[in-house]
Amino acid sequence: MRLTRLLILRSLRARPTRWLLSAFGIVLGVSTILAIGITNRTALLSITRLFETTSGRASLVIVAQDADAKGFPETLLRRVADHPEVDNAVPTLQLFTVLADQVSTGEIGLDFFGTSTGGLLLYGVDAQRDILVRDYQITAGRFLAEDPHAYEVVLVQSFAEDNDIAVGRSIQVVAGGAVESLRVVGLIAKEGAGQLNNGAFGAIPLVTAQRLYDRDGKVDQIDLVVKSSSASGPRLARLKDELQAHVGADYAVVYPAAQGQRMTQMLGNYQIGLNFLSGIALFVGAFLIFNSFSMNVVERTHEYGTLRTIGMTRSQVTRQVLIEAVGLGVVGSGVGTGLGILLARGLTSAMALMINQDLSRVEVQADIVVFGSAIGILVAVIAAVVPAVQAGRISPLEALRVRGARREGWIIRKGWLPGSVLLAISTAVLVANPFPYDVQFRAGSLVVFASFAGGALMIPVTVAAWERLLRPAAGWLYGGSGRLGSANLQRARARTTLTVAALMIGVAMMVIVWAMTDSFKGDLDVWLQGYVGGDLYVTSSLPMGKEVWKRLEAVPGVAAVTPVRYFEVDWVKPEGDVEKITFMAVDPASHAQVTSFVYTEAVPDEVGALRQLAGGDTVFLSSVLAERAGVHAGDEITLVTRTGRRRFAVAAVVLDYYNQGLVVEGSWSDMGRHFRQSGANAFMVKVEPQTDVAQVQERIERTSRSRDQLIIASNASLLERVNGLMRQAFGMFDVLALISMLVGFFGITNTIAMNVSERTREIGMLRCVGMTRLQIVAMILAEAALMGTIGGLLGLVFGVVLSRVFMLAMTAMSGYRLTYILAMYRVVAAVVVSIFVSQLAALFPALRAARSRILDAIHYE
Amino acid sequence: MRVLDASRLTKAYRMGERSVMALAGVDFGVEKGEFVAIMGPSGSGKSTLLHLIGGLDRPSGGTVALAGQALEPLNDTAITLLRRRNIGFVFQFYNLLPTLTAEENICLPLLIDGKDLQPYQERLERLLGLVGLEDRRHHKPEQLSGGEQQRVALVRALITEPAILLADEPTGNLDSRTGLVIMDLLRRLCDELDQTIVLVTHDPRTASYADRVVFLRDGQIIRELHLVGEEPAGQSLGRIIETMQALETDPGPTVSAAADLPANGSP
Repeated sequence: MRLTRLLILRSLRARPTRWLLSAFGIVLGVSTILAIGITNRTALLSITRLFETTSGRASLVIVAQDADAKGFPETLLRRVADHPEVDNAVPTLQLFTVLADQVSTGEIGLDFFGTSTGGLLLYGVDAQRDILVRDYQITAGRFLAEDPHAYEVVLVQSFAEDNDIAVGRSIQVVAGGAVESLRVVGLIAKEGAGQLNNGAFGAIPLVTAQRLYDRDGKVDQIDLVVKSSSASGPRLARLKDELQAHVGADYAVVYPAAQGQRMTQMLGNYQIGLNFLSGIALFVGAFLIFNSFSMNVVERTHEYGTLRTIGMTRSQVTRQVLIEAVGLGVVGSGVGTGLGILLARGLTSAMALMINQDLSRVEVQADIVVFGSAIGILVAVIAAVVPAVQAGRISPLEALRVRGARREGWIIRKGWLPGSVLLAISTAVLVANPFPYDVQFRAGSLVVFASFAGGALMIPVTVAAWERLLRPAAGWLYGGSGRLGSANLQRARARTTLTVAALMIGVAMMVIVWAMTDSFKGDLDVWLQGYVGGDLYVTSSLPMGKEVWKRLEAVPGVAAVTPVRYFEVDWVKPEGDVEKITFMAVDPASHAQVTSFVYTEAVPDEVGALRQLAGGDTVFLSSVLAERAGVHAGDEITLVTRTGRRRFAVAAVVLDYYNQGLVVEGSWSDMGRHFRQSGANAFMVKVEPQTDVAQVQERIERTSRSRDQLIIASNASLLERVNGLMRQAFGMFDVLALISMLVGFFGITNTIAMNVSERTREIGMLRCVGMTRLQIVAMILAEAALMGTIGGLLGLVFGVVLSRVFMLAMTAMSGYRLTYILAMYRVVAAVVVSIFVSQLAALFPALRAARSRILDAIHYE
Repeated sequence: MRVLDASRLTKAYRMGERSVMALAGVDFGVEKGEFVAIMGPSGSGKSTLLHLIGGLDRPSGGTVALAGQALEPLNDTAITLLRRRNIGFVFQFYNLLPTLTAEENICLPLLIDGKDLQPYQERLERLLGLVGLEDRRHHKPEQLSGGEQQRVALVRALITEPAILLADEPTGNLDSRTGLVIMDLLRRLCDELDQTIVLVTHDPRTASYADRVVFLRDGQIIRELHLVGEEPAGQSLGRIIETMQALETDPGPTVSAAADLPANGSP
């Protein structure tokens, strides 16, 4: 123990930079894992808790089985209230509305990544009974009176403050095609039910709500408070089943928290992205540790040789290195935990924006912290295994050599053998993709790791060829010193390999991130052009009937108008499971005049396909669903309609990311016929050629806005907003690309500094025979530039191949099939950045070498 | 009692296409308390011989027995343990760990062996006193002169009471005065502690401190010289230089040319 302490602590003090670099690798990995773990947990718990607290003391909740059904009769209330185990049954009617004076600035809720924005959520409640279930913490005024007909409202204080609303004043809300006035009688804290819709929430009397929205006798939800003897455990489960049987299949009896499931499902894809991010961070962290440990072993060859001479066994040396790794892992994990918690605060606020949820209570739970730290220590040890074994292999004779000019290790001489095997296996596995869905992410990460390792092992055998190829360029750029620097590349192949590998991985990661985001943005752009097609997008907080359509068409300057309607349907998958997806109803005839579908499978006759859609019993399938179910144009799918299961012909497969691609397009007539739905969510308006879009928008606003409560946005402004959202979502990935390059930068700084310090004597000799300081700098920069070029080019190749593979994997996992986009300027930038980083990293060691005194240099020992 | 016994030792290295014979069948033995110097020009195989008898390298042929233990059947760990407990090494470049103090460097072999330092305290003090480093024990190598560093290395080599001390050009990196101080020390160790010492050098003055000088050329022992303890140092040096000169003019490397001594090299 004393020996370990002596050797490790002293070496730590002697080489603080190297240890800091290793620790940085662990800190990076652990903090990212923790930040992402904590953020995901925070989001999930917050959603679960939201539904738990808003349901208060309710143990069970009854909702309509069909989420899109417009509530259910309140007569059900009596049926469940009479059940002997139920103490109280409390109804609510749930309404989404907007403040009338905010309609013009009201935001169009785009279901993008499962988020929706804006609006005021009103709960119609039975004032007397509701307080038996939910806690309303009154901060001003009073709660609702017992009069069920009163036109009064209780609002969340923060919402009221944001909108300058005070107790005693009235608010105007849009309801049932008219504007209604409600008197604000009290304010509640943003707690319990007050957290709903992120605080944009109010409660009004139930009967008033039913009257305002023409939903007499209807409720959306019944919360059940059950007898304490049945309030938990298997008895509650039994009661749940009993009540389910009692109310029938049209209703769902669920636990309060289960209501958050749909929201958490929506988070899924984004969380896959985040997990991918943490995997990468861990990988680059591991590489950084490997790099600095390898350097450390090379640098301490002499020392290990001495230890071996005076009686340290191989396993003792190996153990020393591994113990150092554990120590470093512990310290790095500790710091990483702190940093991770800080990062999580930033990440949760970004996530809060995206899912419109209050995530201010960051969930730092022990299991995540323990997991993150354990992973940190484990990765540190794994990354140090190869250097540790190498250290153990150092022969005592190494100690007797004047300098550490040791024979090249087996990995450098023969590493290409396992390297090529690893590359071949990982490529084969990645192409064949044999993993079941649930292990795909971990197994995929492992294979990518193997392919990187394989690539890195191949570098030593190719160094000579690269050097010959690039020497003229080095000579051209840096003159004779450049050629000398170029030749140095072959002299320490181990270090060259580590540097090139660091850059290769940095560049590859950067290219992967670029390609993924570019491709995703590209496809999203193409889809959005069709999704918010035409020139104007018109929506309303009220259902829009045919008369609105007619009025819009009549506006001068309007060439065509087409309606869109979204609602939820049950899709019967080929294997028999049922999944909720979105049915997007369009009017094929007018749709074709305004916008167009993006077909992902070639359709021989697009007009014919549209005609078939119009003819009924036909759908267009989103590419995501087609991919997931293995369905193509010409096949059939089954949907659950009002009259039972029905088969629909698939006329085409189209690009559509609405509801994360879980969508089919059907005709307006099928919507009415099979699903009994009517009215549009939105209209897409095409403006006459040579007509000013803004002018037409103004005309619509003048003629129809107040009457129909329309929200009108130009296509361009909508796209701008969506792009803004996307920039926010992908911003994190850009940070990742930056981190990858940072790792490359640290890696190369490390190796070049070592190269230079080891060659101090030689540099002194070169100065002796007349090399100028500038020539020394040029020589070192040329060597670095070559490594930068090789690393950049290899990274590019790896990046392109792996990003393509990732996309294939993503298609298999989520159904997203993206068009591969990697802009030419990105390709050039990848190599340029790599060279630039190499020059930047080499500058300081080069200047230091040039500054050293000749006599000091030649006496350097 | 014989501490070291090497017979028919050969060592061949591959250099590209061809094989170079560094040692070509050497028989070499050392008695307890004997001080032997190995001399020879560069490339004669003297360091190779030291590495083989110290278990730092494996011979291509022949056998080595150290303190009665044959090295050939031992695996790497067993040889390491033998080295740790029975052999002390001193090198030209001292090979101290720069991060440890003089005393920590000295105690390193004990720590590696997991030994409690307390029982060795007395020996440590005695050795530090012997080499005159009592007041430098808490200094790091960079704060010590070359001679002091070599003395630290010497004490480190002796702290485990090794059966044999192997020194490879221990004065090669020191000025001549400091070199003589180190050689005086080695002589005293041999005389006062009965320490067995094998030393490799190309300096006749250094070799003159030994009891016996073995001359190597082209991987073979070509002559041995017994120096009589009582004779003045100058006289021993003269005999060594004479032998060296004679060997320079002697064209044939033959062991039998060492006519004035028995083949096994014992006095």
